[in-house]
Amino acid sequence: MQKLGDFKPPHFFNYPPYFTLQPLKDTQQKQVQLWKELILDYCRTQKIFVIGLEDDFPLFSNSAIERSLSHEARDIFLSGLVSDGRAEWMDKGHKKCLILWLRIQDWADCILRFVKDNGLEDSVMTVEEIRSGIESQGTELHGMDRTVLMRALRMLEQKGKLAMFKGSSADDEGVKFSA
Amino acid sequence: MRRRPGIGGLQTAAATRDQYRLVGENVARIKTDLMKEQLATFRSQLEDFARKHKNDIRKNPTFRSQFHEMCAKVGVDPLASNKGFWAELLGIGDFYYELGVQIVDICLATRSLNGGLINLQELCNLLCQKRKAARESVTEDDCLRAISKLKVLGSGFEVISVGKKKLVRSVPTELNKDHNEILDMAQGQGYVTVEEVKRRLSWSSGRAIDALETLLEEGLAMIDDGHKDGKRRYWFPCVSFVTTS
Repeated sequence: MQKLGDFKPPHFFNYPPYFTLQPLKDTQQKQVQLWKELILDYCRTQKIFVIGLEDDFPLFSNSAIERSLSHEARDIFLSGLVSDGRAEWMDKGHKKCLILWLRIQDWADCILRFVKDNGLEDSVMTVEEIRSGIESQGTELHGMDRTVLMRALRMLEQKGKLAMFKGSSADDEGVKFSA
Repeated sequence: MRRRPGIGGLQTAAATRDQYRLVGENVARIKTDLMKEQLATFRSQLEDFARKHKNDIRKNPTFRSQFHEMCAKVGVDPLASNKGFWAELLGIGDFYYELGVQIVDICLATRSLNGGLINLQELCNLLCQKRKAARESVTEDDCLRAISKLKVLGSGFEVISVGKKKLVRSVPTELNKDHNEILDMAQGQGYVTVEEVKRRLSWSSGRAIDALETLLEEGLAMIDDGHKDGKRRYWFPCVSFVTTS
């Protein structure tokens, strides 16, 4: 359980049967619900954006009770999150899953708040600065996944809240926030 | 009175008997009156006591339980009627009614986790957590009283004993003797295997599997195929604490 660090898992995480997909529909529904909440919670607190199904993701096994989630179970729980709009499969083979513990819309709101709080209207910033610059420290934007950030920025661009442009160096994109 | 022979004598004897009877009735009436008077005094003292200690009765579970015992000894049931003197004075009817509602809430909320069967101890714990704000703690005794009131409403609530534990059933599932025996066995480690059931109860494969599958279908059991020995385990949330962290 040291793998979870400071994170305190809910009681069911230490109850062996929860690591086996339950055959009874009602029980399975409850089981899936509990796991979905746990995954979102954990990812939020640990700022995890991507889960690889075959990876040694700390939630997928509990060494204290010697149990692990089967591949099928992992797929079902993550697919559940995808159906809820809280995750997206990054590939057809369901090998990698993007976890949206904040939805893209929520991230967009975050960015707008960030712009307002720092008086950044009508100014320019690189994408990298948004997620690692000094201003971002202490906010949720700090250290966020670049792919998710880009998606949120493009959403705002469509709404006319900002404009994206290519910077001078190859991987440096810029953002001009609207006034 | 002198005994006189003949009809006169008979009449006198009859009159004498009548007189004795009247005296006898009088004595009986006096005794009854006395008794009524004593009871009235006792009752008013009990009422005084209850009035004075109303707060203690509500807040202190030990005191409350002793109060109930005392009432029971003299044949008074403070819970008998919600409209009666006692209920109004103490609001005890309300107290148990409240408790009953909270118990129903908890049972409904945990039903999907334990199939409608919950450990009395766990129920009590959850209740205390719920009532922490009101600082009115409850004991298992209180729970049992509240549940017996619920039963009167025909709500399908029942307390069953399995081994040393008491379980509160909130669904109409009928548990037969075979199921009971498995639940009893499960109290040891929280789970059983088909093998264990067969061995310790001397049952056939069919009987063991039947019973376990029924319990599974009723939502009372959960399967666990994750042990490295490859044997399927049937876990029973109602004999463990699954809902409190």
